[in-house]
Amino acid sequence: MRWMILVIVGFCLALNLDAAAAHVGLPCGSCHRQGGSASDPAARSNRAAGCVVCHRGFERIFDHAMGQRSGEKSFVQRSYGRFDSGFWDKNCTSCHLKGCLDCHGEGGVKKPSVAACQVCHNGYYTGWDYSGRAPREDNMRYQRGIAVNGETFLKMLPDVHYSAGMTCGACHSMSSLAEGKKSSKGCRDCHMPDLKVLEHRIPAHLQRLECYACHSSWAPQEYGTFFLRFRDGRMKDDFDLKPGANAEYLRSAYLKKQDAPPLGINAAGRVSPIRPMFISYYTDIMRARNNGPENILLAAEWRAYFPHTVQRGGVTCEGCHDNPARFLLEPESRRIYNLEKDGMGLESFWLQRGQRVSNGSFMDAARYLRMSSKTPAYTKAYVEKWKNFLNRVENSSRP
Amino acid sequence: MRLCALTIAMLAFLASSCTLTDRSRSTCISCHADLEHVSPAHTNCVDCHGGDPQARDKEKSHASMRGSANPSSPEEWDKSCGKCHRYQLERVTSTIMQTNEGMIRNIQLTWEGADGKQYTTTGGKAFDPSGKPVESVPVEDLDNLSGELYRKFCSRCHIGSSNAESYGSAHASGCAACHFPWNDTATYEGSDKTMKGRAGHSATHAMTPLPDTQVCSRCHNRSGRIAFSYQGLYDGNNGLVPTSGGEGGPVMTSGARNLTHIAPDVHFSAGMECIDCHTSRDVMGDGFAYRNMYLQTEIACEDCHGGAAELPRYREITRENDEALRESRSYKQPVTSGMRMIQTAKGRNYSNVFYKDNTIWLQGKRSGKLHRSKVITGTPEHTVAGHGRLECYSCHSRTSVQCYGCHTRYDKGKSGMDFIKGEETAGAFSETEDYRMLYPFPLALNQRGRISPVTPGCQTFVTVAEADGSLSKSEYVSRFKGKQQLRFAPFYSHNSGKKALVCVECHGNPAFLGFGQHIVEGNSIKGTLICERSDSKPLDGFLTMQNGRVSAYSAITRENARPLSGAEVKRTLSVNLCLPCHDKARDPIYRKGINHRALDDTRHRRLLSGP
Repeated sequence: MRWMILVIVGFCLALNLDAAAAHVGLPCGSCHRQGGSASDPAARSNRAAGCVVCHRGFERIFDHAMGQRSGEKSFVQRSYGRFDSGFWDKNCTSCHLKGCLDCHGEGGVKKPSVAACQVCHNGYYTGWDYSGRAPREDNMRYQRGIAVNGETFLKMLPDVHYSAGMTCGACHSMSSLAEGKKSSKGCRDCHMPDLKVLEHRIPAHLQRLECYACHSSWAPQEYGTFFLRFRDGRMKDDFDLKPGANAEYLRSAYLKKQDAPPLGINAAGRVSPIRPMFISYYTDIMRARNNGPENILLAAEWRAYFPHTVQRGGVTCEGCHDNPARFLLEPESRRIYNLEKDGMGLESFWLQRGQRVSNGSFMDAARYLRMSSKTPAYTKAYVEKWKNFLNRVENSSRP
Repeated sequence: MRLCALTIAMLAFLASSCTLTDRSRSTCISCHADLEHVSPAHTNCVDCHGGDPQARDKEKSHASMRGSANPSSPEEWDKSCGKCHRYQLERVTSTIMQTNEGMIRNIQLTWEGADGKQYTTTGGKAFDPSGKPVESVPVEDLDNLSGELYRKFCSRCHIGSSNAESYGSAHASGCAACHFPWNDTATYEGSDKTMKGRAGHSATHAMTPLPDTQVCSRCHNRSGRIAFSYQGLYDGNNGLVPTSGGEGGPVMTSGARNLTHIAPDVHFSAGMECIDCHTSRDVMGDGFAYRNMYLQTEIACEDCHGGAAELPRYREITRENDEALRESRSYKQPVTSGMRMIQTAKGRNYSNVFYKDNTIWLQGKRSGKLHRSKVITGTPEHTVAGHGRLECYSCHSRTSVQCYGCHTRYDKGKSGMDFIKGEETAGAFSETEDYRMLYPFPLALNQRGRISPVTPGCQTFVTVAEADGSLSKSEYVSRFKGKQQLRFAPFYSHNSGKKALVCVECHGNPAFLGFGQHIVEGNSIKGTLICERSDSKPLDGFLTMQNGRVSAYSAITRENARPLSGAEVKRTLSVNLCLPCHDKARDPIYRKGINHRALDDTRHRRLLSGP
């Protein structure tokens, strides 16, 4: 598989050089005469008329997720929009797609680097994780270390594809994005499950699981996203939180984690990582200080998604088969966080009750029970797995 | 607990001769008419406070008072409380809560390293646990960053100095630190109109012979945060949410930290307070000067619950000078001669735990409530072969607070308050942090050779900014046990649950062995949360496994403590071969060492040859 990755990486690099070079010999007018705008032929406002002369059809990217952001808008409308109709404009427009150069204009017209994608795909949003970055806590005590584009991060294990030098575009081609697809390649377009791997020999795994259900090594998870509204900026004095996009708001969270993500069922009916997106709360500080409501639970929504944290390995068997909390079926006896006592409106983040998956569903308890029962087949595979592992662990250790 | 009846008074305005019989002639009483009595035994203002009770002028009356508002402060305690309570005073002067010797030493080890001297808050002569005289140097003379960090940060919780500025952590100095509790804002709230609302005083003038959990919580809320964990509180990410009345919430405490709720310790849920387990010798010392708190502490879980093979020990009270008789005088039910008192790990009598009717009972010292102690000796769950090396709280801790990455910066261009010297001096410290978590928590061998939870202690990265702003040290990791490495410390979180961790939680999750958040890849275990200073070392662990080879890259503090070895890791993980079928600790196969060859016998081969 290594040679294939090298070929892909080489191909990507070659294309990137070509992209920059391809425009050098062109007369200015071939881009700048188009669409009536001499200054910005790549602007969304004229549907990138200067670019699409050659790159036909790519203006359709503006009609899809990155251009429209309809999913995010819809979420804001049904959550924070109920209390502040201007919430979207105040907090969510920094990633607005304005034209082709947003991604392709990094030091000349060329294919976007990972860093170019991460200008928007940062923080809690997929893409930041690809380079091994997880959001830090919002309190200024935790806002430390290296920052990229003003965003600090916890150093995590980067995706194996990133470590191999692959850019986002290797799997997310321009044509796929223009067509409204999430990606141009799925895992199995490049990788065939190796049947020497025990987990791959279990038919249910290959039939019912997304590859990344096992191979996502970690995922940023935000449990309880709070937007605090300050109508009077002086009231922020006691909240030592990271300043946000808008002076009227500060963002915080009840709990952040970045371990192996919970699992649910995605729209394709396959087991997939899921994460809160978002378990949202809203407090209008001024109203709260006048005995008004606070910590209003606006949504308790999860999304099935693909964390870009792929590794060759994965969790051990019991990480799924003996871990009901991972399917939001946490028994009360194992509960750590007492959300009810904190007035959070949920019994537990790891309990399905009161929550939903916006693009899929949770695994039902009966199915989990079947999955977690120690059948002879499970036991056999489990013992084999540990035997294989332990036979290769040395007794001595390095000091 | 008359031993605690230290004659202390907090308030600055009491004066002499104001006994119960001559109150009308005392100017103390005429000004502080409604001030609470300290206790029925403490009837004379002047005995504790000094001052002139005949003088009608306030200044004159107060001029000769001891210790300003607090006659129990260490500068005065030998003339006030210690005058009558000599035994207690001699113990308190060498208790680790006064000397802070361990704290100072640990900071030294994190920064410049030990220099062969023994430092304490005030220095002085004492006796070590073997009875040999020792002399310590005052921390004021520790003229380096270690000394300064202690004096500017950590000394706030030393019982020798008061702290009226920290909301939620306010406490007096000296005996009053525990026996005249301050409230969150250090404000007097008693009946005396003269003192009402004044800051820097105890909540009332009535003495608390038996301190409640809140008193302990005033100091034990940083570092290991045991008083918080015990009560089911967590100062996790300082997110300040959910808000409370438009302020940070749900519960606020010192340092603008917010506390959320977690499952409390099972003992707290039962209504037990800190002093119900901890003896006065744990807290006030036993007269010897210990190097660390874990050496001074004399109690263990096994005292009341028994060990795997040994039942709790008891000793009958036969002497009229038995400490338990004296100490229990303030309890709801004082113990009496002839009672069989349970013994601490150091072989001394508890004053509130006794054996009666084939049962071990613990009396709540303040509440009088009787708690039946469950003895686990001989039960199959507690006689698992190989578990003999486990501390009880390895399995019974519900959570264990872990603070990863403590980035401490020292700015020579700024100034900060030196709480020992009592003056502002050049140089200020500030801290930032990486990540905090509760579960899972790593295990390693502690100083007793037993497997115990460990927590970062500390992962200090030191940055020193010179006066001109240049950095003479940047994210420096100090040397420990001979090499540059971070440290974990054995730790009991005080967040125990009745229900222990299940077998698979530890045996199936290498995070418990010290690998941190991870994935398993072939015969390697790769951490996913990585240290900024190295691409190969997890931040939240101290072990890596690469191609089957286990390496340790952080130290465990304390003598003889260490991470698990490769053989121990392998042995722990090997239990997984049995767990799918033998998933209960009471399973007979766990009574003796596991024979993994059994997997090759006919029965197992048949079972494992299925589809």
